[in-house]
Amino acid sequence: MQTSQVRITVNGCVIDTEPTRSILEAMIDAGETLIDGVGCMGQGVCGSCRVLVRRQGESEVLSALACETRACEGLQVAFLDHLPMHRHHVYAMDDWNGDSWRILERINATFPEAQHCRHCGGCDSACPKHLQVHKGVMLAAAGDLSAAECFDECIMCDLCTIACPELISPNHLGLYVRRLSTAIGFRPADLVLRLHQIERGEMVIDQDVASTQP
Amino acid sequence: MTGIDHRLALERLLASDHAAPNPIDDIEALLKAHHPDYREGSLVSLAVGANRGSECPTALAASLQSNARIEDADLAGAPVVDTEVLIIGGGGAGCAAALTAAEAGGRVILATKLRIGDSNTVMAEGGIQAAVGEDDSIQRHFEDTLRAGHGCADRRLVACLASSAPDSIRWLIDRGMRFDLAEGGAIGGKLLRKKPGGATRARILSFKDYTGLEMMRVLREAVELDERIRLWNRCPLVELLSDEAGHCVGAVLYDLALHRFVLVRASCVILATGGVGRLHLNDFPTSNHYGATADGLVLAYRIGAALRELDSFQYHPTGIAWPSFRLGGLISEAARSAGAHLLNGLGERFVDELAARDVVSAAILRECAEGRGIEREGMVGVFLDIPELERRQPGTLAQRLISLGHLARQCGIDPSREPMMVRPTLHYQNGGVVIDENGTTSVPGLYCTGELSGGIHGRNRMMGNALQEIITFGRRAGLHAARSASRHPAPKVGLFHLQGWRRQLVAAGMPLDRFGPDLFPRYANFDFGDELALRGGKRTTYAPKRARRVE
Amino acid sequence: MTHRPVLLAPTAAVGADLDAWLQNGGAEGLRHALAAPERIIPALAHAGLRGMGGAGFPTHRKWSSVAGQSAGDKYVLCNGNEDEPGTFKDRHLLSASPHQVIEGALIAAVAVDANHVLLYVNPHQHEALKSTRSAIEQWRASGLLAPIERRLGLRLALDVVESSGRYIGGEETAVIATIEGGFPFPRRKPPYPAESGVHGRPTLINNVETLANVTHILRHGADWYRALGIGGACGTKLYSLSGDVLEPGLFELPMGTSLRELVFTHGGGMLGPLAFKAVFTGGPSNTLLTADDLDVALDFDAVAQRGSRLGTGAMIVISAGTSIVRKVAEYVDFFAAGSCGQCTPCKTGTYQLSRLLRRIDTGVGVQADLRALESLCALLPGSGRCGLVDGAVTVVRSSMQQFREEYEHQLIG
Repeated sequence: MQTSQVRITVNGCVIDTEPTRSILEAMIDAGETLIDGVGCMGQGVCGSCRVLVRRQGESEVLSALACETRACEGLQVAFLDHLPMHRHHVYAMDDWNGDSWRILERINATFPEAQHCRHCGGCDSACPKHLQVHKGVMLAAAGDLSAAECFDECIMCDLCTIACPELISPNHLGLYVRRLSTAIGFRPADLVLRLHQIERGEMVIDQDVASTQP
Repeated sequence: MTGIDHRLALERLLASDHAAPNPIDDIEALLKAHHPDYREGSLVSLAVGANRGSECPTALAASLQSNARIEDADLAGAPVVDTEVLIIGGGGAGCAAALTAAEAGGRVILATKLRIGDSNTVMAEGGIQAAVGEDDSIQRHFEDTLRAGHGCADRRLVACLASSAPDSIRWLIDRGMRFDLAEGGAIGGKLLRKKPGGATRARILSFKDYTGLEMMRVLREAVELDERIRLWNRCPLVELLSDEAGHCVGAVLYDLALHRFVLVRASCVILATGGVGRLHLNDFPTSNHYGATADGLVLAYRIGAALRELDSFQYHPTGIAWPSFRLGGLISEAARSAGAHLLNGLGERFVDELAARDVVSAAILRECAEGRGIEREGMVGVFLDIPELERRQPGTLAQRLISLGHLARQCGIDPSREPMMVRPTLHYQNGGVVIDENGTTSVPGLYCTGELSGGIHGRNRMMGNALQEIITFGRRAGLHAARSASRHPAPKVGLFHLQGWRRQLVAAGMPLDRFGPDLFPRYANFDFGDELALRGGKRTTYAPKRARRVE
Repeated sequence: MTHRPVLLAPTAAVGADLDAWLQNGGAEGLRHALAAPERIIPALAHAGLRGMGGAGFPTHRKWSSVAGQSAGDKYVLCNGNEDEPGTFKDRHLLSASPHQVIEGALIAAVAVDANHVLLYVNPHQHEALKSTRSAIEQWRASGLLAPIERRLGLRLALDVVESSGRYIGGEETAVIATIEGGFPFPRRKPPYPAESGVHGRPTLINNVETLANVTHILRHGADWYRALGIGGACGTKLYSLSGDVLEPGLFELPMGTSLRELVFTHGGGMLGPLAFKAVFTGGPSNTLLTADDLDVALDFDAVAQRGSRLGTGAMIVISAGTSIVRKVAEYVDFFAAGSCGQCTPCKTGTYQLSRLLRRIDTGVGVQADLRALESLCALLPGSGRCGLVDGAVTVVRSSMQQFREEYEHQLIG
């Protein structure tokens, strides 16, 4: 292999590795214990391996996923703890059923902080997926359920929740809008019909058919 | 393993005529020589436990026949917590079980090794099967599943899966999970359906190409917001608790955050610990989550549960071979079914890309083993030639292979210009613990659901049935457990099953210093002895220090 | 040694009553300033006056910089946001003797040719706000502003602006953002406020205590002021003493008074039987002084030589009964809550600092946590638009240097 060595620091451990390796791989190669802040190992969907990184000679510190970030000379890395669930935005799934004209009232009551967004942009810059978090919060706070789309690719890493100085919990607000709008407003006709057929006993399974042999 | 230099291979690829591959004369011989499930010496016979005499991959057998990590004395001073239903595992199956048990009025603890949601569920891209199409029926779903599983599946379980599938989708929608539509709007539209390999009808429902993520984030939020469920993150299962009759009456967990054991006395224990990919059977890379180390399977077996199809695993042919940080990650079969070719380092096609998965996998492994693979930064694989496909069928990438596009960009590759490097990856455990329709096992008090249970997929799992399984059987197990749970903990709770287990190990001449479950992959460098020493714990086990690494 | 208070002198403590202030030598400094405006800045330089808001930056340099900017709208802002833990001097000055502060700000306007003088006051400090408002009204009605306006050739706008009441609102550029009507978001420097401040105009920002001192320097002369200090230090300092002492309070003492004298003479010594353990010096950068530092002179340079900071002059005394890790965690939580949100490393970095500290404090921390804490202290500094995250790191780092064993003792394993 022609790759050269680089030296990085992860949670205070100095690790020599190659620039082709991700932060997680570098830790594993070096024999560091890795039993937390690790999950899907590269797919970038579980949001476990959240880190702050700082490249050599730069003043900027960024949030990133360790499984997707490759080593480079002088890289400093600090792992971030999983955010414990605070449960300060509690709701029930039948929240909007009673009167869905008053959705905005419910959103405001459940996520009152969203009205106080100070537009600092911290959520957008913290998001490792570069989603339009702030836009989503603004839409939701205005009762616009298309906010849901802003969070389509959200991996619920909670970095925006940690970043938000107004304690809005943007990703949970996004998920709230997604969940409630689906639960009350998503009724595909083919599924409705199939459930009806099964419940009326019009569609059953004959377990004894022979055609299942390979 | 070495191969042909990547740059040279690219030149040859450009010069390639993409001629059809020579037919394989002797498939049996190819499989025997190269497929991990068939290769000489890759399987051993179990010497102890309910499946004594059954064949099983060597690495898994070592775990299944391991000794307990703990003794009674290790538990001195550990807090004891009572509950009705204890669920182990924070993936889709565990969450479905927890929500259903709580809704049925059970007192529930959900404990997970990493954190809730860290699972294979969240990584699932393809979708979830449910026969909702006008041209489809639950009977077809039943028959397709049985056939794909080579007729080895438990018919009762498959019937249960197929007939509950539409209701599982309703349950998910009620909890806020969204699915893609093919036509119409959210009310009155029709669901987008994709056809899984081996199916007679299009039956896979999905949300973009991250169905598992959408499912998991909804279930996780539902669990976290449910005040009836106590959620314990970072609390791996270390041993099951038994009474004198050998029934399962709780579990020993280790709290990694507080660095101490916790004993949970429970009337019902539901294991939903997932698969085994991170044991890297036959030294294969895996598409599995970091936590997939067979913990539940090992402990269910130790307490006496019977297993099935233990020798049947799904090796997906097109796992990523480069770059290393995505090694083992999955490239969906969609690429090959769209017409993408596989080529070796000489620029030759070497197998019919649409042959059975085991044949394609074996052929790729043959090319790599015989030096015709491609080497890049120490990684060896073969080319999956997307650029050629895109030239042949312009627009395929944008219309049919969206997820592949994401993946390629993550790897730093422009998929329309550069081929992906692939090799087989360990993807799924087809078999597992024997269960009935309610997830109960041969051990009273013990339930299993999700990937660690067996019987639903036979010897081969269809795409989209894993996500369906975890919801259908997770719910059924949760409901049954909540209804059958007693409010009172068992009078005698201990490690009664361990004596019998150790007697078996000694009688079979098995080592007593191979401890399990593994809890973390080998390369996690986790030493349980060091962990116990933090609290000044005495090493009551017979282990030499870092015994696990001496395997 | 005996000393006579200046800022806390009974003759200054006239509240908002301007007539009383004028009868006790008020406006004398302003008259001197108007008589020879070109001598104001050299006088401050000679007096050795430094910024009392925490940084200790030589005051005359800021003033020269603003004075040197081209003519047009210029601003003088008196920063009374005061919200650091343990600091309670500015609110006292604004409540009990606002005129010396206002007069200092007017002298600044004369020195730098500013036509806007704004007193930026924390609305949570009701007394200070009320008193300042009333005092300003009286200045406006007094005719004392006319000579300044004649000199400027412009109308002088003298007013009070309520701050947001947030800690971050005390940061210079956040003060500017607030005056402009926005949220107190700090921005990167340069450009410095002296060049581009409120609405892009040259702006001088000084702390309340600093401006109060200006009034007395102009009245009594720079030599008089220099002589008030001990050793090489100049003037007096307001020390906000709190914590485990018998008699906490605000003390005006010669700059350079020893920590021992402050705590044991003026503060009446330790509360209860437990020994002195340390002092958290207050301000934007909290650092620790220990029992070894009791004889350190409390002036900017002497404290800095001990690797600590004088800051705002707040001294929070803790006894042997206090857990350093818990106390530091409280500080970090304060910074975490105060972070404005713009910079990921600040909000997220302080979150992680807090998590690690809480883990060690609650007895479940391990060696790796301590290492991670040190590593984070190396990664974070300088990464924010303002110095807030640096402040959080400073207190953690200082405590780890001074009380390493205590951290280690609390680990398991």
